[in-house]
Amino acid sequence: MQDPVQRVREIAGQLLTGGQVDGVLGLCEQHGGVGPCLFRGEDDLSSLVLEPKYPLANVCKLIQARYPNGRLGVIVRGCDERALIEMAKREQVDLDKLALIGLACTEAQAVECRCRHPYPQRIDVGERVEGVAPTVDENVRKLLEQGFNERLAFWHHEFSKCIKCYGCRNACPVCICEECILEDELWVQPGVVPPDYAAFQFIRAYHISDKCIGCGECEAACPMDIPLTRLYALVRETVRELFDYEAGADVAAPSPLVTTLEETPLLEVGER
Amino acid sequence: MEKSADGFKPKILAFCCNWCSYAGADLAGVSRLQMPSDFRVIRVMCSARVSPEWVIKALAGGVDGVMVLGCHIGDCHYISGNHRAKKRFALLKEMLGYLGINPARLYVDWVSASEGARFQQIVTEFVETVKELGPHHGPEG
Ligand code: SF4
Ligand code: SF4
Ligand code: SF4
Ligand code: FES
Repeated sequence: MQDPVQRVREIAGQLLTGGQVDGVLGLCEQHGGVGPCLFRGEDDLSSLVLEPKYPLANVCKLIQARYPNGRLGVIVRGCDERALIEMAKREQVDLDKLALIGLACTEAQAVECRCRHPYPQRIDVGERVEGVAPTVDENVRKLLEQGFNERLAFWHHEFSKCIKCYGCRNACPVCICEECILEDELWVQPGVVPPDYAAFQFIRAYHISDKCIGCGECEAACPMDIPLTRLYALVRETVRELFDYEAGADVAAPSPLVTTLEETPLLEVGER
Repeated sequence: MEKSADGFKPKILAFCCNWCSYAGADLAGVSRLQMPSDFRVIRVMCSARVSPEWVIKALAGGVDGVMVLGCHIGDCHYISGNHRAKKRFALLKEMLGYLGINPARLYVDWVSASEGARFQQIVTEFVETVKELGPHHGPEG
């Protein structure tokens, strides 16, 4: 099998030389680190890398905001693509101007992310491996085995570490509101740390419930190591079970929370 | 106000929509049906007006139970407001559970303007449920 990096360089090179795109968004190695990079010519592609997993959807949004008519190639993992789909539903990005280069994740990556779909809809590079259910995760299981009081104590302990840096919100590709309720003093008192966690954490969890695509960037951004995705993974599973709906799957599918019961019926959720 | 055997007098909020459940509550009142006095009614235009943030804040702020009562499905004055309410609170209930709050503290149901007796019945039952659950100390312990 061809080296995935080589294969991506080839595809990106073809898009660039064929004039189909003005640039390709991916990752490059620079100054001893890896970060997002806009490749403009075939020659630049020698610095292109694929690891580690790095969120590109937000970068894509920034570029499109600046160059609305630019045509962009983007190297996407499953979660990048799902993020772009949820963003497109809310007019944050224009999918029509994007050429996606699909990269399948490895099994190890899928397990680390507790990812149900570790691949984009079209795989250009890599082998498709089966996804895992979030509830396979030991920590998620442990939480489910606990009673309400134990869970309350667990989250109280975790959330009391919050320094209200807003990193989770800022890193999140689907947290897109221009006026965020978490900065509204009616809900979250200014100048108080940790924030009243019901107001801050519960509300954020509810707000992302129908759009979280499970990229894990919130938790990765959290300087206090609060296991946010443990909660969000369960919320995503619940949305899946209640509405037979998965965020990021289909740009034409509206959130089940804004449709009628005829359009998206409410299903029974099984015992956990 | 009634107290349970151990002296616990729950605080309960009942969001009632203007067009059906509030009228149902009113009917229960004018019919002089016996009801526990542990709940406060907040009238809203539609069950869809009740945002999950309110429920979260109420539970965080020392309320022991929250009711959201709207028109029966099919009868919402705004056609499908209660569809949304039904879905969002089904989800919120599960979320409350993951976070350690017994979902039984949130009760969602439908009461028509003519169902005064039904209003009395579900309120009475919910007050009993919350008394059994005991005081809710809020997420701050
Ligand atoms: S995992 Fe976190 S950052 Fe990613 S979409 Fe969900 S809430 Fe947002
Ligand atoms: S927390 Fe809620 S209000 Fe704030 S950006 Fe995210 S979705 Fe929007
Ligand atoms: S990133 Fe962590 S510490 Fe910062 S606001 Fe979010 S939960 Fe709190
Ligand atoms: S008006 Fe009663 S539920 Fe919408």
